[in-house]
Amino acid sequence: MATLADAPTAAGLPRARGRALTALPRALTILITAAAVLAPLSLIVYQSLLSAPFFDAVKQVGVAAYEFIFSDPDFWSALTNSLLIAGGMTLIAVPLGGILAFVMERTDFPGKRWIEPMVLVPSFVSPMVLAFGYVVAAGPVGFYSVWSTELFGGAPWTLYSLAGMSVIAGLTHVPNVYIYASSALKSLGSDVEEAARVAGASPFRVAISVSLPLIMPALLFSAVLVFFLGIELFGLPLVLGDPEGHLVLSTYLYKLTNKLGTPSYHLMAAVAVCIVAMTIPLVLMQRHLLQNARKYATIKGKAGRIRDLPLGRWKWLAVALIGLWLLVAVIVPLTGIALRAFVTNWGFGVQLAEAFTLDNFRAVFDEPTHVRAIWNTVLIGTVGGAITVACYTAIGFATHRRNDGWSRVVDYLVLVPRAVPGLLIGLAFLWVFLFFPPLTPLRQTIFSMWLAYTVVWLAYGMRLISSSLMQVSTELEEAARSVGAGRGRISREITLPLIRHGLIGSWLLVFMIFEREYSTGVYLLAPGTEVIGAQLVSLWQGGAIDVVAALSLINIVLVFIGLAFALRFGVKLRD
Amino acid sequence: MAELTVEDLHLQYGDNPILKGVTMTLERGEVVSLLGPSGSGKTTLLRAVAGLEVPQRGVIRVGDKVVFDGARRVDVPAEARSLGLVFQSYALWPHKTVFDNVAYGLKLRNIASSEVSSRVTRALEQLSLGHLGKRFPHQLSGGQQQRVALARALVYNPPVILLDEPLSNLDAKLREEARAWLRELIVRMQLSALCVTHDQGEALAMSDRILLLNGGRIEQQGTPQQMYSAPETLFTADFMGSNNRLPGRVTEMRDGVALLEGAGFRLWGTAKRSAARGNEAVGMIRLERIRIAEGPGDNRLEADLTTSMYLGDKWEHLFALGNERLRAYGDSPLAVGRHWLELPRRELWIF
Repeated sequence: MATLADAPTAAGLPRARGRALTALPRALTILITAAAVLAPLSLIVYQSLLSAPFFDAVKQVGVAAYEFIFSDPDFWSALTNSLLIAGGMTLIAVPLGGILAFVMERTDFPGKRWIEPMVLVPSFVSPMVLAFGYVVAAGPVGFYSVWSTELFGGAPWTLYSLAGMSVIAGLTHVPNVYIYASSALKSLGSDVEEAARVAGASPFRVAISVSLPLIMPALLFSAVLVFFLGIELFGLPLVLGDPEGHLVLSTYLYKLTNKLGTPSYHLMAAVAVCIVAMTIPLVLMQRHLLQNARKYATIKGKAGRIRDLPLGRWKWLAVALIGLWLLVAVIVPLTGIALRAFVTNWGFGVQLAEAFTLDNFRAVFDEPTHVRAIWNTVLIGTVGGAITVACYTAIGFATHRRNDGWSRVVDYLVLVPRAVPGLLIGLAFLWVFLFFPPLTPLRQTIFSMWLAYTVVWLAYGMRLISSSLMQVSTELEEAARSVGAGRGRISREITLPLIRHGLIGSWLLVFMIFEREYSTGVYLLAPGTEVIGAQLVSLWQGGAIDVVAALSLINIVLVFIGLAFALRFGVKLRD
Repeated sequence: MAELTVEDLHLQYGDNPILKGVTMTLERGEVVSLLGPSGSGKTTLLRAVAGLEVPQRGVIRVGDKVVFDGARRVDVPAEARSLGLVFQSYALWPHKTVFDNVAYGLKLRNIASSEVSSRVTRALEQLSLGHLGKRFPHQLSGGQQQRVALARALVYNPPVILLDEPLSNLDAKLREEARAWLRELIVRMQLSALCVTHDQGEALAMSDRILLLNGGRIEQQGTPQQMYSAPETLFTADFMGSNNRLPGRVTEMRDGVALLEGAGFRLWGTAKRSAARGNEAVGMIRLERIRIAEGPGDNRLEADLTTSMYLGDKWEHLFALGNERLRAYGDSPLAVGRHWLELPRRELWIF
């Protein structure tokens, strides 16, 4: 329609002005999005092709950086470890997540309603915090290890091996599978399962031979997703891989900073490009699989009434399985942190009551940088989250109900940051802020952190916004056009008011994600930009366990406040 | 004067042609129905007129103003066409009250709020919604929602009002009342209306003229009486009423009548354009035109009664004639066995 020119204007309608007013903001929105996404990434690629940091006077274009890392045995062992852990956690998370989804969606499992939010907890708590929780709870002198040794004479687990990390990564990524598997199950009629039941299949058989095969596309999608998250893993291997010196790609990149003694940005960029080269195909694959899964679901048509499958004597097995998983993935790390935050020290022979203290929190609140970190974290989640949602909404409106080339460009544009781990985007933004003069004054303000967060979570946020927008029936907007409203007015007066509940929900989810975020801030951390997540990484490196425990607990409390609000207002915790 | 003119309109989605050259007019004060099976392009035509679909070729004029011309690349956007459109789902804005729903079109036209208020109040009163202004759409019944949608489309006096299946969302009993009410309103307010429907009964009752669409083309147009009583094609005859079909062969033709012969019958009927001597043909007659006769006679055939159904105001009898089935209405139940049926020459169409 926009290609047709010279349309006569109807009398009495302020049409020409309306059009110009809506075309300009759209172009600006797309331009700013493109700049925010592409500038840091091109900087990484450019930097990877230099022989020295890009601000050095002496540098050459070439593949020297790649040659260096490819000849470094540590790189290859990090790559192998990354693949092993990603593969291992996929093998653990997908079957468990599928079975969990089946039990929660389809059976008369007791107490489903209050278990559901608990199931999602591992995906809302920072992996850094979780990893730390495992160390203090189940490490060699963790609470549970000590108690187990006192009771049984030993603790039959080890966290710091590759297998240990894979198991923990697998168990904490069960929610990612659960989310997709359960929404696929929701769209499936329960008659197929009842038919299998009547034919004599036990609930377990029904799950294995009917329900799970039918949601195969969703499971396949989540398998790719979990593998992808495995390649990106940072917090868990940083904390758990350290004692035995296991490196994965992201921790290898992180340790490169110290490896040569001088800034080795070109090497880091080369590793970053290697990681992105692995994640981009995975992201495209996810996009393709997700579309497939949706098609599959539509072909199935409307789901019939879903009835709960009675578990019968299998109930206790299901309770044991889910209980065990909740214990390991949620209760152990969280109680570990909660306990550690209130004791002076811990080890064999220490009594909880004797070691009890509030000093850890005093230490946090006596240190201005920690206080600022808490304050900044709250600020970036609330005010920053609101501005972020506003930005995402603007991008959503730029493509809403428009099927032109620009919409497709934006579609791919918002997907790009998905392929780049937060750690790398943070690094790229550090460079942008350091060496792009107009932005340099903002370097030591929370704005730099906010911008990086907003770009990192672009794809996730856009999914929230577009699912809200999709719920507005086309006819409501067409009705407004037919009575004479232009695009701008329709957006402001019809669509926006209709999606306001969805936007508030998105704000809460973005709040929780921003509270949880840690890796994006690692390189952007500076006096003035402290946030809890990045501060924890830095403090962990320094070995300040007491403060880490207290800050971690504060971080968990912040996330849980968001979670409580979300549950109170009935926000869907997943898309 | 024609309020709306459509000339040779072509529209396709990708490779899939929806409208293949539609030409029509809508005169002032006239109600025209677009009738047709699903996929015939009737809703697409309405949406193209509204400006919500972009055709590839053709011209659309509202009054004497061109709003679309494929050749001259003119396409006035929907919001500048100033037509009234009533959606099948009503599409009332759930976040606005009834008053605000209706007032929105006036506010967009920068009309002073005192006048907005008086015009909205008048429109609501005309549609007997006067007391519901402060309610929200979800607090209204289906029939009330439909009237709000109408008020919203009428309040700024559009030259043409477009109705997309206006009655299909109402339940069966309410639909007949609403049909009468809507027809009366359109006539009283002297509206020019273009109305999409798939229900032939609705089209017959509501309109001054019917356009029957088939596969993106106009199959036939005319007054409801013409469409029902003088269909030109088999498709029109079939679509416009409940029919009996008798396949056979034309063995004789003269003076506009044709003799159709088939298994167990030999009948004279009105020859339609497609009928030709020696060819296969289909005889078609409305259910209500078959008469149950006492015995043999002119244009009668003998068939077995298989069963009868009681419809309340009459009986429907099912007859078997070889492999064919015939249905006819009667005032009383019939005994099982053979009966004579008369198919009057003028009422039996040979296609």
